[in-house]
Amino acid sequence: MRQDRIGFLFLTPALIAVVLFYLLPVVMTAVFAFTNMSTSTGIRGGDYMLTEGSLRDLREQGLNEATLSHLADAGYVVDAEGLAALAEAFGAPLAERVEAALGGQSFATGRDLERALRDLRAPEIRMTRDRKRAADLFQRSVLNIRHDTAAALAADLSAAGIPQSEQDPIVEVAYTGWSWTTRNFELLLSLPSTARYAINTLIYVALTLVIFNVGLGLFLAISTFYLPERTAATFRAIWFMPRILPPVLYVLMWKWLMWDNGFLASALAPFGVERINWMMHSEYHAWVAVILINGVVGASFGMIIFASAIKAIPQTMLLASEVDGATRWQQVRFIILPQMRWPILFVTAYQTLSLLASFEYILLSTGGGPGSATEVWAMAAFRTALNNYGGNLQYGMGATFALVLVIIGTALSLLYLRFFNFQALLAKPRIER
Amino acid sequence: MRLVLDGFTKRFGDTTVIDALDLTVEDGEMIALLGPSGCGKSTTLFAIAGLHRVDGGRILFGERDVAQVSAQERNVGIVFQNYALYPHMTVAQNIAFPLRVRGASVADMDRKVREIAGLVQIGELLERKPAQLSGGQQQRVALARALVRKPDVLLLDEPLANLDAKLRMEMRSEIRRVQLETGITAILVTHDQVEAMSMCDRIALMKAGGIVQIAEPAEMYDNPADRYVAGFLGNPPIAFLDAVSDDILRLAGGAALGAAGTLQGLGPIALGVRPEHYGPGKGVPLDGTVIMLETHGREDLFEVELAGGGRLRAILPAGSGVRPGTTVDWGIDMTRVFAFSPEGRRL
Amino acid sequence: MQEQRAPNARHWPLIAGLVALSAPLVVMYLYQVIDTVTTTPPGSIIPDGVTLGHWRFLAGPLSEGGPSVWSLAGNTLVFATCTALVVTSVSVTAAYALSRLNMPGRGFFLGGLIVLHAFPTITLIVAVFLILQYMGLYDTLTGVILVKVAFELPFGIWIMKGFYDSVPWEIEMAGVTDGADRFTVWRLLVLPQVQPGLAALLIFSFLSGWSEFILPLVLAPANAPQVLATYLAGIIADDRFADFSLFKAVSIFYALPVLAIYMIFQKKLMNIYGGGTKG
Repeated sequence: MRQDRIGFLFLTPALIAVVLFYLLPVVMTAVFAFTNMSTSTGIRGGDYMLTEGSLRDLREQGLNEATLSHLADAGYVVDAEGLAALAEAFGAPLAERVEAALGGQSFATGRDLERALRDLRAPEIRMTRDRKRAADLFQRSVLNIRHDTAAALAADLSAAGIPQSEQDPIVEVAYTGWSWTTRNFELLLSLPSTARYAINTLIYVALTLVIFNVGLGLFLAISTFYLPERTAATFRAIWFMPRILPPVLYVLMWKWLMWDNGFLASALAPFGVERINWMMHSEYHAWVAVILINGVVGASFGMIIFASAIKAIPQTMLLASEVDGATRWQQVRFIILPQMRWPILFVTAYQTLSLLASFEYILLSTGGGPGSATEVWAMAAFRTALNNYGGNLQYGMGATFALVLVIIGTALSLLYLRFFNFQALLAKPRIER
Repeated sequence: MRLVLDGFTKRFGDTTVIDALDLTVEDGEMIALLGPSGCGKSTTLFAIAGLHRVDGGRILFGERDVAQVSAQERNVGIVFQNYALYPHMTVAQNIAFPLRVRGASVADMDRKVREIAGLVQIGELLERKPAQLSGGQQQRVALARALVRKPDVLLLDEPLANLDAKLRMEMRSEIRRVQLETGITAILVTHDQVEAMSMCDRIALMKAGGIVQIAEPAEMYDNPADRYVAGFLGNPPIAFLDAVSDDILRLAGGAALGAAGTLQGLGPIALGVRPEHYGPGKGVPLDGTVIMLETHGREDLFEVELAGGGRLRAILPAGSGVRPGTTVDWGIDMTRVFAFSPEGRRL
Repeated sequence: MQEQRAPNARHWPLIAGLVALSAPLVVMYLYQVIDTVTTTPPGSIIPDGVTLGHWRFLAGPLSEGGPSVWSLAGNTLVFATCTALVVTSVSVTAAYALSRLNMPGRGFFLGGLIVLHAFPTITLIVAVFLILQYMGLYDTLTGVILVKVAFELPFGIWIMKGFYDSVPWEIEMAGVTDGADRFTVWRLLVLPQVQPGLAALLIFSFLSGWSEFILPLVLAPANAPQVLATYLAGIIADDRFADFSLFKAVSIFYALPVLAIYMIFQKKLMNIYGGGTKG
């Protein structure tokens, strides 16, 4: 088999995954952002149903009162069509009796008609259930009936005597599915919470990155570098743990440390410190908690990257500086730190991207609270679309939030390409055919 | 099998690295592609093996043009500098691999593996893994693997470069012995002139993607086609002196060397003098000072700065007693001197 | 520099600093274990008795009417194992193509790989949620596995490509001139050389799957078999039910495979976490 053919064969599963779960979602995020999809509209097309609510909307739109009251009143009519259906279901004798007694009459509700039917004392409809079935055959109202298509609703409207010319706005209001809109973007720009989420994200990313990923990460890498092997390995293991422990467990430990009957509160109580929930007591407590929890994991990441970069510095270079009489601090300042430039840039670029989008630890610890003090952008997207207390999930709005991150993410990842020596990466395969 | 490159051309992207190269290797001949790194010798080898695409010309194995034939269908054996043994397979499995992918029977493989292992003298190593072998032994296994399917051509890509000096000497003669015994057509790629001269029937000296001279080793040494060839072959290397040829031949510094002969009236030229042709009592004496002495044990290598400018090297049997700083009046054997035009053409 | 075996006077200030920094973590780790086998009076930090009562969940349901921890562990195992196997097998072929095969568009695919490697996948969750609904895979373990695999792939391919890149070209060249086609060369000659990478990726993606929380939470919240992460997060978040000792015992149970794998493959993991760099 030719190698390019094997190549495509080998790539195909990965390509399918990428198309389905990267390219398609990126495109679809943009598409969904222009819809009003939500739990109530559903995500497939909708159907057509007039409700009391839609009548209110129609009144606001200025539909003429006659039509409105017609829509509202059109209830149950004992007409030829209904009688035919009744004859079919319960036999001709009943139909004849009903026609004689009630022919041509209208009833506002099904219950009124049922009452009238009961008064007939017909044996065929002695049971309440049967009477209800019979009454339903005469329903001529269009309210609260689900229609699959606009045409079906229009037909019913015509049957109820609504003129063709007035049907269009009614059909439109009755539509329960999603539709295209730019309202999400208007909302995004006008809601004060938007700015809040953006600022929160900025604080969260910047503090975690600078203090922990880079700062503490560097400190851990350099300090363990100067310690004897066994001691260094112990500290590295302590700081590596947070990265491999399942997030649920890791956050549980922090919760235990900080909750109002937890370790911190209990340990400080003998010193007269009030017992508080150190994680949720105030906005500031929550922020410190969020940044600590994310930061320790980030420091773990930084430590690993920096430690391997320090290891790559030629030993002779450090020995030479020692012979030259450099102190440890000078060694760090003039030899190690300058060599850390690329790793620091790399960690910064890479972690900015993952922090921007990550909300797992926040969701598990403060849940964005108290209030929405620690709610970051990515979490707002998640909550709006996938997990809010109200239960009406705003897919379209959530996608709009996500779209902002997708755009930033795409731009930054393209920038990230520059961190690689792409030409070297592209080195031609040495077997050409 | 006779191998012919006819107008072979190779490009990498827009750069043509080898332009219309012609080369004929006779059946059973071993030829060296010699040259500095980047001269295109390995590229040529990979094209013959079928690993590189050929951008122009023909590659004939016997009568068959294989330029567009895949590596798998060419039947060449190749030995690499790092041996490229399959680390997870035993020696026997390594050698049998070319037979295995051709669907040979187990009995057949076993017989052929033993046969070839005997030839390269590794019969007792068959069950070992490559990591348990010395460099020389790995080299023998690689050779056996390349030969076991009786290839049309054997390609050797710097096969001795990873060996220490002593093993290299041993493997030099080993490879040549095996090549002669099997009578296979072979191409050796090397940058080491000693390897090329000691192992091969002919040498093709390459430079910048072309062949400068093809000749038997002694012929190439004694009769280099140009200054590049003269400078490449020989260790210690040849020394060049600037000279002027009008009525008589004289050095740029002024010292007369004798009659110009066929070189008369050519103006500025360069003379190439091999170390063995300069020394006490060899032709026209020239004043000079010994500036450096290297002791090589059996012989001494001197570097002499001539009074009129220019440096020469001389190689003398050990024990001459000449020290650096000594003034000497050694001479050049003018019958063995090569003359080159300023562009490096042989005159 | 690590030439000495035992710390000397020069190291102590540094060690003191590190101890102070690490203390909160160490306290959390210690109590994480201690609390599961002791009782502690409310408001105290000193245990006053030893008990195995916190581990009773091993024999019964985790909470009233809830599933047993064993069935949750079983689901998690299935999820993590499937993820690891699929990620590894897809990566192992795709990475070879990108590392070694001369094919049109290779540069484009490589660039794409790097971009995807950095791309914050979780931003796609809203769209992925809806796409799974359209595909009918919402609220199924299959759906979550597919998405998890896709999200882990760029990393997996990147890691495997690194391993392939370090296999000498000459091995393949020798194989090709020996008469084997590229598929055979890959299967018989190259694949055995990248086995350490294969193992590392299997372990890594297994751990990643075992710990995954957000994807099952969002994509398979209700009907699908629950995994330990989501179930545990659920009962921890439930205010009626705040038994930290029980939570800790369950989380130890949950984390045991992770810790065991870490102990055994420490070196390998440090490398892949460092070299691979997935946030």
